[in-house]
Amino acid sequence: MSDATLPAIAAPRQRAPGIWRQSWYRFRRNRAGLIGLAMVTLVVLVALLAPFAAPFAPDDTSAMLRGAARRAPSALHWLGTDRNGYDVFTRMIYGARTALAVGLGAMIIASVIGVIIGGIAGYAGGMVDELLMRFAEFFMVIPVFVVILAVVRLFGIVVVGTWLEDIPNLNLMTIIVLLGCFEWPPIARMARAEFLRLRNSEFVEAAHCIGSSRRDILLRHILPNAMPPLIVLVALGIGGAILAETMVSFLGFGDPRAVSWGQSLYFNYEALKVAPWAVLSPGAALFVTVLGFNLLADGLTDAFNPRTRQ
Amino acid sequence: MSALLEVDGLSKYYPVLERRLFRASKQTEIRAVDGVSFSVAEGETLGLVGESGCGKTTTARSILNLVEPSDGAVRFQGEDIVPVFRGGDRARILAIRRSLQYVFQDPYLSLNPRWTIGETLKEPLRVHRPEAPETWDARIGELLRMVGLEPHHAWRYPHEFSGGQRQRVGIARALAIEPRLLILDEPVSSLDVSVRAQILNLLAELQDRLGLAYLYISHDLSSVRYISTHVAVMYLGKLVEIGPVDDIFTRPRHHYTRALLSAIPVPSPGAAQDRIVLQGEVPSAMRRPTGCPFHPRCAAALPVCAQSEPLLMPPSAPHRAACHNPL
Amino acid sequence: MLSTLAPASSPPVVAAPAPLLQVRDLRVHFHTREGVVRAVDGVDYHVNPAETLGIVGESGSGKTVSSLATLRLVPPPARMAGGQILFEGQDLLAKKPAEMAALRGRRIAMIFQNPATSLNPIYSIGAQLGEILMWHEKASRAEADARVVELLGLVGISDPGARLRQFPHELSGGMKQRVGIARALLCNPSLVLADEPTTALDVTIQAQILELLADLQKRFRMSMVLVTHDMGVVARMASRITVMYAGRVCESADAATIFNAPRHPYTRALLESMPRIDHSYTGAARRPLPTIAGRPPNLLNPPPGCRFHDRCPEAAPECRRLLPLETPVGPGHTVSCLKRGSEGIAA
Repeated sequence: MSDATLPAIAAPRQRAPGIWRQSWYRFRRNRAGLIGLAMVTLVVLVALLAPFAAPFAPDDTSAMLRGAARRAPSALHWLGTDRNGYDVFTRMIYGARTALAVGLGAMIIASVIGVIIGGIAGYAGGMVDELLMRFAEFFMVIPVFVVILAVVRLFGIVVVGTWLEDIPNLNLMTIIVLLGCFEWPPIARMARAEFLRLRNSEFVEAAHCIGSSRRDILLRHILPNAMPPLIVLVALGIGGAILAETMVSFLGFGDPRAVSWGQSLYFNYEALKVAPWAVLSPGAALFVTVLGFNLLADGLTDAFNPRTRQ
Repeated sequence: MSALLEVDGLSKYYPVLERRLFRASKQTEIRAVDGVSFSVAEGETLGLVGESGCGKTTTARSILNLVEPSDGAVRFQGEDIVPVFRGGDRARILAIRRSLQYVFQDPYLSLNPRWTIGETLKEPLRVHRPEAPETWDARIGELLRMVGLEPHHAWRYPHEFSGGQRQRVGIARALAIEPRLLILDEPVSSLDVSVRAQILNLLAELQDRLGLAYLYISHDLSSVRYISTHVAVMYLGKLVEIGPVDDIFTRPRHHYTRALLSAIPVPSPGAAQDRIVLQGEVPSAMRRPTGCPFHPRCAAALPVCAQSEPLLMPPSAPHRAACHNPL
Repeated sequence: MLSTLAPASSPPVVAAPAPLLQVRDLRVHFHTREGVVRAVDGVDYHVNPAETLGIVGESGSGKTVSSLATLRLVPPPARMAGGQILFEGQDLLAKKPAEMAALRGRRIAMIFQNPATSLNPIYSIGAQLGEILMWHEKASRAEADARVVELLGLVGISDPGARLRQFPHELSGGMKQRVGIARALLCNPSLVLADEPTTALDVTIQAQILELLADLQKRFRMSMVLVTHDMGVVARMASRITVMYAGRVCESADAATIFNAPRHPYTRALLESMPRIDHSYTGAARRPLPTIAGRPPNLLNPPPGCRFHDRCPEAAPECRRLLPLETPVGPGHTVSCLKRGSEGIAA
C-alpha cells in the first residue's frame, strides 16, 4: 500500500499549475499589485499607441505662431499649451515612450551585467567572488548623477561635427547606457546571494550527482529559481531609472530631441503660477508611472513569497 | 561476497583560520572525516550511524565527490574513483555516476520546485541516455510505478505532493539510470512515523528486486536496524565500530555504541533498559581529544585511552571495534 | 516572596484527584483564504496533579496547537472557536489578557522545541531569566540572580554563577535546552508544557534531557504535558497518553495500556508501523512493516464521520457517516471508535 493516491483533480494529461501560474494566482489577490499592474499597463498602452492617441505631432509648435502659447485647457488643447506652444497632452503621451525606453533600456543593461557578474560571483565563490563584489562596491560609491551630467555634457561637445551627430537620440541613449552601467550593483548583489543559496541547495546537488553539465545546472536549475527576487528588483529599478532621467532632463542635460517629462518640467517650471497645467500634467504622468512600477514590485514580492501562500 | 564499494582511509579536512586580534592567526584544520574504511558488498546495506557532526554525511558526500576528499581511496568495483573525479574526464565520471546514486534527506529541498516530476525524472535520462529520447517517457512511467506512484503524476509539480511522495520521486530519480549502489542520506528522518514505514518497505522491496546495495546514513537506529545488514558507528570523524547488524545491536563492543543504543527510548513503558546516560557532550571537532576521541566521556576509560588511538580490532574479523578496553 | 526549592513533601495523592488541567471540547480553527482549517476540532483531555501526560500524533494532528491553546498562544490566523480550558478550576478562555499574562510562565510554563531560537540572542542568560522573576515575583535583581543560579545548578549546568553573564550562542544545544528548562521552572509552575523538547537534540543529549525532566517532575511533583511524535519518548516519560489524529483524540489511557493493549485501530497501526531496535530483521526476518494506507485528511475539508475511516482496516459503512465520541472501555481508558462501542453523532 502507498500514499500515492492523489485526489483526482485533473485529467491525467493536464498539467497542474506551475510555480509561475501559482505566483499569478497569489498576485491576483493583491490589490496594490493589481493597481500597479493596471497603471503600468496604461502607461505601456499609451506609449505604444502614442501616434494614434495624440491629437498633435510632438514637435508641433504652431500654437506659438498663432499666439496661443500658455493657453489654459480648451476643446482644441485638452491640457492646454506650454510656453513653447507645444500641446501639453501630446507631450505627455509621447513622454511615456521616452520614460519606458529609459526604464526598460537601463534595467535590461543593468540586469544583464548584474546577473552575469553576480551569478559568476555567487557560483564561483572564493577569490573571484571577492574581486567581483569589490568591483560592484566601487560602482556603488560613485555618484551616478554627477557622472551622467559630466559625460552628457562632454559627449555633447565631442560628437559635434562627427558622424555620431546623425544618430537619433544619441544623448538619450547615453543616459540609458550610463544608468544601466551604474544601476547593476544591487542586482548583482541579489543575484550573487541567490546563486550562492541555490548552488548549495539539495536539488542542485542532486543534479551534480546525476552528472548534469555545469551549463545545465546554471541555466536550467539555478537561473530560473533565482529569477523572482531579481524581477522584483528590476521592477523597482525601472521606476528609479525613470526618475533619474527626469532629474537629468529637469536640470537641462536631457536629450533636446526626445520628448521627456523632465524636460517639460524644465521648460515650464518658471511659469508654474501662470500655466500650472504645463507642469502638473507631466508631473502627474511621472507620478503614475513610478508609483505603478513600485506597486507592481510590491505585488510581485508577495506573489513570489511562498510564506503568504497559506 | 565481493565488495562493490570499498572506502579506504577516507579523510576530509577543512582548514580553519583562527583569527586572533593581537597574535598571528593560527592555521588549524577540522578533521570532519578521519581515516574511515569500510566496504559495502553487492546487494547489502551498510548502515552508517552517529550523532550530528560525527562526519557520516561528509563521508557519503566525499564518496560521490560532492566534497573532494582530502585523503584516502574510494574503490568502486575495484577502481579508485577519487582520481577519476579529480581528472575531470566527463565520460568516465558519468560512467561512475551511472552506478552510484544519492537520495537526499529532505524531499522538500531536493526537487527543483519549478520542474514537473516528469522533467525531474527526465534529467538523468537526458544526461545518460541521450541517444534514445523516444524511450524516456516510457521509462518515466515505469519508474513512477516502481516507486508506487502513477505515470500521470509526471505532470504534477513537487508542491502538490506529500513528503512521502516526494521522497518516492527522489528515489525514482536515483533509480532512473539503474545504479548498483544507492547512498541514502537520512531518507526517512523528515517523514512522519506512518510514512516512514512505507518508504522503508519500498527500499527493502527495491533492494530485493533490483539487487541494489545501500549505504544507509541515519541517526534513527530503529530504521537502521530494519534496513541494514551491517552497521558502522562513527564518533567525531572516526569509525569506532563496524559489524553485522545483529552483533552491533545485541553485543556492541564499543562503549559509545552501547551508550548510543541505550539512549534510544524503546516504545515499551517500564522496559527494563539498562540505561547508560552519557555525561557531557560531543567535543567540538576543533578540540578533538588526544588518543581515543571518546575517552573523556567513557566510563571504562584507561590511562592508555588518553594517549594512543585505538585501532579497529581484530583486524580482519567481521565485527571490529576501536577500543582499548572493549566490552 | 520566592518559594524555596525544597522538594514538595505532600503525601502521595490517593485515588482520582481533581484534574489540574481539564480541556473540554477544544476547537481551534485557522481562517485561511481557502477556508477554515479545523486544526483542533473537539478535543478533550485532562492532566492530573504530578503526572506527565504524553500527547502523541503525527504532523498536522493538532497536538502542538492544542497545547499552545492552553496558554492561549495560538498564532493569528488561528482562532479559539470553542471549548473550555479549566486550570485549577478556572476557565482560561474566560480570562482577561492581563490575567493570562500573569499566569503564563508563573503557573503554567512552556519548554520549547528549538532551544536555539527560544532564547533571545541579545540578552545574557542571567538577564533574560532574571527578568521573568522580576516581572512575575517582583524580585530584586540580587534575588533574581540567586534564584537563577540555583535553577541553573539544578538543571545540571556547571558553574552556574559564571553562566549568568554568558549569551545563548556560547552554549551548546543541550545546554540551551537546559537553560530553557530552568526558565520554565523559575516560578515553580504547577504545569509545564513541553513541545517536542528533545526533537532538535542528538540521542545521547536527548537521553540526558529526558532523565533531567523525569527527575525534576518527580522532585517537584509538577504536572507535565509532553507533546511529541516519538513513541519511544512518551513510553519513557508519560504516565498517561493521549493519541491525536487529524485534530481529534483517538484514544487516551495509561501508558502501559496504550502500548500493550491499544484499542483504536490508528494507535495499533502506528505502533506496528515502527521498526524496533530490539527486534532482528536480518535475512528472512525482514518482512514488510505494516503500514497505514493513504495519507492524513485535509483539515480544510475533513471527511464526514470518523477522521480515520478512509485509512482504517476495520472501517464499516457507519464510520463514513458518524463522528465517534470518546467512550470509556476500561478504567481510565477511552476510545473514539464506533467499532469499539463509541456512540456516533452525525456531522
